[in-house]
Amino acid sequence: MRIVIVGGGQIGSSLAKALAAEHEVVVIDHNPDVAAAFHHIDAELLIGSGTSQDMLKRARIEDARFFVATTPLDEVNVVACAIANRMSNPETICVVSRSDFLPDGQAGVGLRDFGIDRVLWPEAQLAADIEGVVSAPGAIDAEIFAGGRIRLLEYRLGTGSVMVGKTLGALHLPRGSLIVAVKRAGALFVPRGATVLQADDKVIVMGAPSAIQEVHRLIHPARAGGDIEVTIVGGGDVGLQLAERLERSPACQVRIVERDPARGEMLAARLTRTLVLNGDGTDLEFLESENVGRSDVLVCVIDNDERNLLASLLGRQLGVPKIVTRVSRPTNLRLFERVGIDVALSARAAAVASILHQITGGASSLLAVVEHGEARVLELVVSDRFEPRPLKQIGAPADVIVGAILRGSEVIVPRGDDQISPGDRLIVFSTREAAERVQAYFHGFDS
Amino acid sequence: MRISLVVHVIGLIVRVFGLMTLAPLAVALLYGEYRDAAGFAIATVVTCMAGQVMRRAGGSGAEDAVERMRRVEGLAVVSGAWLLIAAFASLPYVWAGLGVIDAMFESMSGLTTTGATVFRDFAQFGRGIFFWRSLTQWLGGMGVIALFVAILPRLAIGGREMFFAEASGPDDEKVTPQIRRTAAVLWQVYAALTAIQTVALRLTGMSWYDSVSHAFTTLAAGGFSPHPLSLAGYQNPAAEWVIIVFMTLAGANFALQYRALARRDHRLITGDEELRAYAGVVIVATALLVWATQLPLLSESALRTALFQVLSILTTTGYASVDFQLWNDQAKAILLGLMFIGGCAGSAAGGPKVVRHVLLAKFTLHELRRALHPHAVLPVKLAGRVVPAHIVQGVIVFFLFYMLTFAMCTAVVVLLGADLVTGISATAACLGNVGPGFNLVGPMSHFGDLHPISRMALTATMWIGRLEVITVLVIIRPEAWRAGRWNSE
Repeated sequence: MRIVIVGGGQIGSSLAKALAAEHEVVVIDHNPDVAAAFHHIDAELLIGSGTSQDMLKRARIEDARFFVATTPLDEVNVVACAIANRMSNPETICVVSRSDFLPDGQAGVGLRDFGIDRVLWPEAQLAADIEGVVSAPGAIDAEIFAGGRIRLLEYRLGTGSVMVGKTLGALHLPRGSLIVAVKRAGALFVPRGATVLQADDKVIVMGAPSAIQEVHRLIHPARAGGDIEVTIVGGGDVGLQLAERLERSPACQVRIVERDPARGEMLAARLTRTLVLNGDGTDLEFLESENVGRSDVLVCVIDNDERNLLASLLGRQLGVPKIVTRVSRPTNLRLFERVGIDVALSARAAAVASILHQITGGASSLLAVVEHGEARVLELVVSDRFEPRPLKQIGAPADVIVGAILRGSEVIVPRGDDQISPGDRLIVFSTREAAERVQAYFHGFDS
Repeated sequence: MRISLVVHVIGLIVRVFGLMTLAPLAVALLYGEYRDAAGFAIATVVTCMAGQVMRRAGGSGAEDAVERMRRVEGLAVVSGAWLLIAAFASLPYVWAGLGVIDAMFESMSGLTTTGATVFRDFAQFGRGIFFWRSLTQWLGGMGVIALFVAILPRLAIGGREMFFAEASGPDDEKVTPQIRRTAAVLWQVYAALTAIQTVALRLTGMSWYDSVSHAFTTLAAGGFSPHPLSLAGYQNPAAEWVIIVFMTLAGANFALQYRALARRDHRLITGDEELRAYAGVVIVATALLVWATQLPLLSESALRTALFQVLSILTTTGYASVDFQLWNDQAKAILLGLMFIGGCAGSAAGGPKVVRHVLLAKFTLHELRRALHPHAVLPVKLAGRVVPAHIVQGVIVFFLFYMLTFAMCTAVVVLLGADLVTGISATAACLGNVGPGFNLVGPMSHFGDLHPISRMALTATMWIGRLEVITVLVIIRPEAWRAGRWNSE
């Protein structure tokens, strides 16, 4: 299948790299300098404007199934998608970096009016992801699904945890919650009833918010409830959005550190409860004078990996218990966690994964990528041909666990006796290897 | 500064202002006061002719320059016009037998909506004079310059600077994009409210003459009453309630009232930060006053009396429904405090204005917070929007000059023989355009017994207070005049 990508930056080149082996990929970028990045990618690179009809003809847009616009300029992306949509009818995916082009309720101009099928806003997604992590102190990763009715949290078990040394069967987790995965010594697996938890394991828990709250209390008895002090270093798009989200919760005391005085004034104008500090987040003296070590969470979202790493390590040195850092270059992700940062997140890596899933994933939708792609959370619809039966009888593939059944407005966190019927929507946790099998299983099952 | 232009525009304004004396002329004729009528006729002729002479003196060059008026020229026109209009408006008082200093005091007190009087014996003056006194307050309440910007096509463009120099409050706000239309809309709202109040007062049993007089001086936050005992002389609770309602409106932002009404959106009212602070001050001060005066709690008369006095002083109207000179010191201290607050920006009220206090309080709190976080970026915000630094600085400078003017004038009044309470309250009342003070200048008394130089100084503070200090102080700086040329630059 032919895929046309406009913009050969980080998102564009990562996409091309992942897709080039199996598909015909054409990348259009106006900057000849990007050619260096494409030396080792088996794709066609055209130098020119992605909004020119001539270029799109040369890319043979009429044969393309997908059209992805990933330039840093929102306007260019929107116009490119609109033109592509007029010239032929590929599925268009548009990456944006501001809220201007998002459909605004009833009154606003929706992107469908421009012939755009799907919008991706990586920075907003990242801000939402970080908010999930921050608002659950103690947890090192967090996701929200089904409009907030299902949550996923990731914890690292300390040596003194009540869970260590017990089998899952003996834990008696609150009803409505499930341990869906354990990561031990770099390997991730779906636990069984007989699995014994060990200190330093990372456990991933999924369930209804109330049940998750109880699990949270079980794991961190002292830390549940009370105010959280969050310091954000870097007042860019992500920092601003994160602060806006966090200051809505009265239990959050938010501070944001920004180096540029003019940008700082703009932040102070936009934010209501957040304290804006004008200074350099990589300056130890400044961090000490503002007592950053007392924060519960330090979030580093500067647009520069090196300075982010420095700010994070300084925060660690000052004694901040939890550090969340944004990583721009996906290759740095593992490195960051290795040097002691609790959560490293990459907006672009998440965007690339999401687009890839859109192009190659078929009918199920990818809700989240956990542990840097080692596991995913999928939402899929049970096919009409599926014969209704209880969960324990379906013999689903190994390394897959059904986290929730959405039936109408009902949300069920299933036990073995719960029935699965055609038309149910399932939230499924699966390792990367098992992901394709599970889709085939629930879609094509014919008994 | 092009002095010819300033003289020309002031002439333009004075010439039209002369026609205003025709209204009391008609009233005087109606009541058969032919001697006063002659005075008004003379005042009309003199004022119009003087205006015409000044207009001509500016020359034809000035006529073309009106549309290119600069800020300093706008300030000079506004300051000068207010001073000259007050002088011409004093002519009928001189004709009626007042000395020049007293006539100027009464006239300035009227135009600046202060409401302080030097009339010793009310029986000495006719209805035409009292009508003129009320009318000057009504004209000054919304602003004479705003009126002329609205009605004189010549000022459609050049009027911009003048409009903002006269308008009250720290910020420039307009109801419509065009300045002329803004001025017209505000005057229409003002006139409509006046008409409604007149009818409402008439329904409580007041005569038409008294209803009109009080409506004129309520909406203007002025406070002149044709009765020597002010509202206490009527003993009419219904009328007091009507006046309470309209004083509240007069002390609130007219532009905001218009917008809320035009868009039928009550959130504009309930969400306005200044208005909420204004309401808070009224509630707290009323409760304190009920406590301080030991009026019977939970009675209609206690609530009415406390609310009336609080609004009268807070909105700088200056009516009295009781002789609060007889109240104890606690009650007087509360009223004196209210004189330093004033009404809302963009209202007819004088004083420093509620919004300036809100901004100053926020600024102070931010400075305290900055001690803890030396690197914090802390812009002063009003209703979620950042107030530019130059406006916040303007507020601080305003308070500095306001208090400096207050201190200097108090010193003059006290050194010339008045007691300290009289000196402080008389100055606070004149600078804030309130009207009555305490002791010698209490609500049932008059300013006529002060030293003549004190009366002149107080006349000047009324002028300075109405134009919010800076407008006048810029013009008395020698620099503004050294750079001045008669015609060109």
